[in-house]
Amino acid sequence: MTQNKNATPEGVVRYVEGAKVLDYLPQVFNVKPSSSYYFWLMAPALIVLAAISIYPFFWLIWMSLHNVGSSAGDTFVGLKNFEKLLTDDKFWIGWGLLFKYTAFCMFFEIAIGVLLAVILNGHRFENILVTVFLMPMMMAPAIAGLVWYYLFNSTFGWYHWLMQSLGILGETSIIGSTDTAMAALIIVDIWQWTPLITLITLAGLKRVPRDQLEANMVDGASAFRNFVAITLPNIYPFLLIGIMLRFMDNFRFIDVILALTGGGPAESTKVLPVYLFDVSFVFFKLGRGAAIALTLLIVTIILCKLLVRVFEGPASKRTDMGS
Amino acid sequence: MIMRTPVQAASSQEAKMKQYAGSKLVFMSENTPPSFAIRDKIKDFFDATGITVEVLTDDLPVVYQKVGIDVKGGKADFPVFYSQDKPIGAALADYCVDFTKFIKDDTLPQDPDGYGADVWFDNFLDACGSMYEKGKIVALPYDAAVACTFYRQDLFEKYSKDFEKDYKYRMEFTANTTWKHVLDYATFFKKLKQAGQDVPYGYGQHLGTFAWTTQLDIQRLMYSHGQWQDFNIDDVLGSKTPGPTNWGDATSVEMMKQFKAMSDVSHPDNLANGTLELNSVYQAGQIAMQVQYHEFAASVEDEKTSKASGGKTAYAPCPLGEASWIKNGGKAVNGTNCGIGGIAINKNASEDIQRAAFIFATHAVSKKLQYSVLSGLGGTPTRKSVLAEPDVIAARKRPTKMPNALTFEAVYDFGIKAPNFVLGPKIPEVNEYHKILAAEVSKCVAGKQSAEEACNAIKKQTDNANDI
Repeated sequence: MTQNKNATPEGVVRYVEGAKVLDYLPQVFNVKPSSSYYFWLMAPALIVLAAISIYPFFWLIWMSLHNVGSSAGDTFVGLKNFEKLLTDDKFWIGWGLLFKYTAFCMFFEIAIGVLLAVILNGHRFENILVTVFLMPMMMAPAIAGLVWYYLFNSTFGWYHWLMQSLGILGETSIIGSTDTAMAALIIVDIWQWTPLITLITLAGLKRVPRDQLEANMVDGASAFRNFVAITLPNIYPFLLIGIMLRFMDNFRFIDVILALTGGGPAESTKVLPVYLFDVSFVFFKLGRGAAIALTLLIVTIILCKLLVRVFEGPASKRTDMGS
Repeated sequence: MIMRTPVQAASSQEAKMKQYAGSKLVFMSENTPPSFAIRDKIKDFFDATGITVEVLTDDLPVVYQKVGIDVKGGKADFPVFYSQDKPIGAALADYCVDFTKFIKDDTLPQDPDGYGADVWFDNFLDACGSMYEKGKIVALPYDAAVACTFYRQDLFEKYSKDFEKDYKYRMEFTANTTWKHVLDYATFFKKLKQAGQDVPYGYGQHLGTFAWTTQLDIQRLMYSHGQWQDFNIDDVLGSKTPGPTNWGDATSVEMMKQFKAMSDVSHPDNLANGTLELNSVYQAGQIAMQVQYHEFAASVEDEKTSKASGGKTAYAPCPLGEASWIKNGGKAVNGTNCGIGGIAINKNASEDIQRAAFIFATHAVSKKLQYSVLSGLGGTPTRKSVLAEPDVIAARKRPTKMPNALTFEAVYDFGIKAPNFVLGPKIPEVNEYHKILAAEVSKCVAGKQSAEEACNAIKKQTDNANDI
């Protein structure tokens, strides 16, 4: 700790043209705090953070290396839980279904979300329409799953009746066929979460520099060209946030899936997190469940990093051009 | 929270009942009529014992998950819980208290009817109470769901002559009706439907999301044909080391083919229909037959919600095995299975909490309460003495104020008796087994794999789950 050598209990002593001047300042302003001082300031936050994320993370690693929850007690099994995953067909099929589900959801949500945002931006009823579009997001995912379960039900579901009347579906409900059940989940996800992309994109659209748009139009650019050349690069950072949020949500949310299909029929919607739920809380094989969760976490982090890199390219390019 | 006033063997019954006055218990149970009835009448129990009981109810899979986390975590937040025989009982038996120590304890109040196997319906105590060790009772029978056939008597009468013209025998349901007959009936109704007639489909299966009832659904078919069983283990006690499964043998492949044939003529949304949905389909008048649990009779007979009410539905035993389909040389039986819901006590709880829980458990399985549930909410008793009540005897025939009693002949007088009744398989990995089975059966029904592939996939995964 560096002490001010002129500091006294009364104040800080200095000399002006030979005269002694005593500055009556609180000592704290004159003493550079030690690093431990900062540590203690941050300690409460660090403890909370450790309790809610770091401790469970290490506990997850510990569990993945043990056979947990048997009546005989927890036993160390090394990497056996991971080895078993290599030959577990349901694990790999779960990954495949998860990528398929995530890719379709994100593609449609971004396309529809951005389109809606462009339409709504500056619309005379923008505020009212945004509020209306946001309503699905306000619903708890488990409730949304149950609502859509009843709408899709072949015995009393109104949507099933509608789709059947329009000739889109036969007597089999959308959740009763292995060919269409995944589509049902994607429809619900699009319905509930496209508004989030719309909202985020709208925020981005408000930040697009009007002078650039006008200059481009003066140069004869079409509205589409304007959107691609000016608007899109400007909303990249906003889109990145939306895509990251939706990507991570799709990789972990299972509420709707459990309520709507439970991973069926015939495991056609058993994405990896649903299988993880089964292994951990139906079979109570917590060690194997932890191994699956760890792989899911690692892949999510890697893919998020890649996403950031992909989107950072155009965004930084745009910043360079601007400067 | 536990409070205790010590009592002696010679103390009065009232003192024994009140020895834990001021204590509080949490009962985690399935959302079925007995639990609602207990909750409605919980004041009676409080008045008699001074023990406060909070009754929490949820869907069976959620009950299992919550109780599983509690007991496997070494906790006793749920000192007393609902223990459905296989999904909870077989999986968590090691965490349940042995009731025999309390039954012999003369400082605890005891049910005057007792708890021996003879006071319950046949096999009920074994179904939920006997797990892996002879002589131990890990749960007392609390409610029951036994399979029987629900069919539309009005439609059977209406189309019987047309059916007879095509198939050369009568369309009817008796204890001698075989699975082959059921397949014929379902095929007949589907043909009528495809010809544009305003009739329901013939049949529906238990698929959907509830894996356990899918296992029970195919088990009835398989057990009917030569009493085929999933493992070579004691059906009553089960086994912690079941050895290789019998899936993949000739009988299982043949039965899987027949199950698939049944599905091909079943309700078009068969794959999405679990047990509850199947009953809704039947209530909506969309199918003419279902093998369903007898506790559902009350909803089928409810005129406000069911098109199959008002004497249109009749109840029969589960179908008999078809002799020509049997591959293992065994005999044909009316394969019947069940879910016997037990009430169990958490081993992690302290001795005093366990004793207080025992007082509650005996109340929950008492004749008085079971009779009141049957007459009030449509319960399914487990004590024989309930059926001896004069108004219950009268209720077995229409018109009835206790619709579930219409099934008692098919269930209590026939289905649960040897050689028809199958209890197992009781194995620790039972829930993983159910999931494996339901997934592969559904894939076969969906046409994604052959019967042989499905049976082999079940064998491979099940043996793997059991460390074979």
